Amino acid sequence: MVNRPAPRSIKLLANIPLNLLLFSVLIVPFVLMIYLAFLEWNPASGYDWWKAPITGLTNFKKALEDARFLYSFRLTMIYVVVTVAVEFLLGLALAYLLLEDFPGKKLVIAAVIYPLMLPPVVVATIFYLMFQDYGPINNIFLRSIMGASALNLHWFLRPDTAFITLLIADIWQWTPFIFLIMYSALSAVPKRLVEAAQVLGAGSSTIFWRIRLPLIKPLIIIAVVLRALEAFKVFDYVYIMTGGGPGTSTETVSLYIYRVAIEYHDISYAAAMSLIVLAVIMVVIRAFIWYAFERGE
Amino acid sequence: MRTRQLLLRSLRYILIGVFVLWILVPVAWVVTLAFKSYAEWRVSYFIPKKPTLDNFIVLFKPEVFTGVMGATAIVEPVTKPLINSILISAFSTILAVIIGFFTAYGASRYNTPGPFGIFFTLLTRMLPPATFVTPIMVYYSSLNLLDQHFGLIVLYSSVTVTYGIWILKGFIDAIPVEWEEAAMLEGASPTRVLFKVVLPLARPGLVVSALFIFLLNWTELLFALVLTNINAVTLPVHISKYVGAVGQLYGPQAALALVGSIIPVVIGYLIQKHLVTGFTFGMVR
Repeated sequence: MVNRPAPRSIKLLANIPLNLLLFSVLIVPFVLMIYLAFLEWNPASGYDWWKAPITGLTNFKKALEDARFLYSFRLTMIYVVVTVAVEFLLGLALAYLLLEDFPGKKLVIAAVIYPLMLPPVVVATIFYLMFQDYGPINNIFLRSIMGASALNLHWFLRPDTAFITLLIADIWQWTPFIFLIMYSALSAVPKRLVEAAQVLGAGSSTIFWRIRLPLIKPLIIIAVVLRALEAFKVFDYVYIMTGGGPGTSTETVSLYIYRVAIEYHDISYAAAMSLIVLAVIMVVIRAFIWYAFERGE
Repeated sequence: MRTRQLLLRSLRYILIGVFVLWILVPVAWVVTLAFKSYAEWRVSYFIPKKPTLDNFIVLFKPEVFTGVMGATAIVEPVTKPLINSILISAFSTILAVIIGFFTAYGASRYNTPGPFGIFFTLLTRMLPPATFVTPIMVYYSSLNLLDQHFGLIVLYSSVTVTYGIWILKGFIDAIPVEWEEAAMLEGASPTRVLFKVVLPLARPGLVVSALFIFLLNWTELLFALVLTNINAVTLPVHISKYVGAVGQLYGPQAALALVGSIIPVVIGYLIQKHLVTGFTFGMVR
C-alpha cells in the first residue's frame, strides 16, 4: 500500500476496463432480468419483450406454488449437504493421513489431485461410462460380490440410484479440493506448537483435535462455504449423466431454470425463478464475505 | 506398544492406497476403454486384447461410424469444437488477465476499486451461472451475438476476471514498493512505472493467472450450451451432445473424454502449487 492518492492514469486503468466489461456484459442483463421477471413474455408470443404486458408479481407467485421448482430446490439442498459433508470428512482425513512425510508422497498427492483439473463434462462422461449396465461397477465390482444379478442393476433408471451416481461423481471430483486446502492449512501449523504439546505428553490424536483443528478453523469454513456455493451450481453432471431423469427426479435448480428458459421458452418465468434463487444465495455470500474479509478489519 | 505402532502405520498406508485406487480406477477404465474395439466395449477386464485407434479416428471422421461400429447416428467431427474451444478460451483469458492486471495493481497499491469492487467481483464468480442464462440469452439475441465467438469471449472474461484480480493482487503485493518509488524519483510517469517496473516483475503471476483462467474457460459448459448452436460450439458442448444423445458409443465417448482432458491436465500440473490459491481467490496460500 502506498499512502498517497492514486495518480489519475492508474485510477483510469484500474477502473474503466473492468467496469466497462462488467457493466456491458453482466449488469445490463441483470437489470434486464429484473424487468423481464415482471412481464408475461416468451419468444413465441409474437411481439418483442419491451412490448409485453407487465403482470406484476404473478411469476413469483407461480414459482412459490410450482411443485417442480420447490422439489428441485430441495433436491439441490440435499445434494449440497451430502456432497460437502462427505467431501469434507474424506478431504480432512486424507490431509491428516498425508501429513507425515514418506517416500513417494509427492506422487500420491499428484495422483489424488488429478480429478480437480478435469472438466466436469469429462468427469460426467467417466461416471456415465462407469455406471452403465455393463460398466465396471456392475460387471467387475458388484458382480464379484452378488454374482450375475449385478448386471440387472440399471443405475440411471431408478431415482435413488441415479441420484447416487451424481453424488459419487461430485465427491470424486471435489474431495481433492477440500484435501488441498486442508493439507496446506495443516502443514502451515507451526511445528513448535506441536512439539510443545508433545513435550507436555499429549498424544497425536489429542494434538490433532485440540491444537491443529482449532487453528485451521477459519480455513475449514472458507473451504466448506466455497465448495457449497459451487455444489449448489451443479449442472454439468446432471445434464449429461441423468438428464434430470428418470422423469424429473434428479432435476436440480440449475437444470430446471435452464429447461424453463431454453426448452420451454418461458423467459419471464425463468427470470423470476432466477431472482428468487439469487436472493437466497446472495444472503449466504454476503455473510461469507463478511466472515472472510471484513471481520478482522 | 511396538506392534501397535506398526499396525497403525500399515493401516495408514492401506487407507492411502484405497484413496489412490478410488481416484485412479475410473481414470484407468476410461483410458483403456478408449483403446478397445467395438467387441470389447462391454467386457469385464481393463487391458484391451487388440488395442485400436478407431475410437479416436471416429471422433474426427464420423462417417466411419456406420461401417465400423454399427451405430446409425452421425455426429459432427470434433475438429471445429476443438478449435473453437482453443480460440475462445485463449482470447477470453488474455482479456481477463490484462484487465485483471490493471485492477489488481490499483487495488494493491492505491486501494482503487474499494470494498464494493471486491464484493462485486467475488459475486460474479459465486452466483450460480444458471440464474444468468435467461437475461444473457435475451440480451445477446437482441445484439445479434448468439453463436458468435466474440459473445462467449467477453462473457467468459467477465466471469473469470475475478480470478485475474485476486491471483495477481497476491503477486503484486509481494513486489517491494520501494522499486516503484525509486523509478518515480528518477522521473518516470505512473504508467511508465506500471509497464516497465511492475509488469516484468509480475510475469510469474501473469502466467499463473492466465493458465488458471484458461483452465476454467476450457471447462465451462452451461453458457456455451445456451449461447452457441453451430458456429461457435465449444468442446464441452460437443461432449455433452455426444454422451447424452448418441447413446452407447462407449469407445468414442471414452476417447472424447481423453481428448477433452489433455490440455487442462497439462495446465493443471504446471500450476499445481497455485491451484489452492486460485480456487480460493487467494484466501489460502
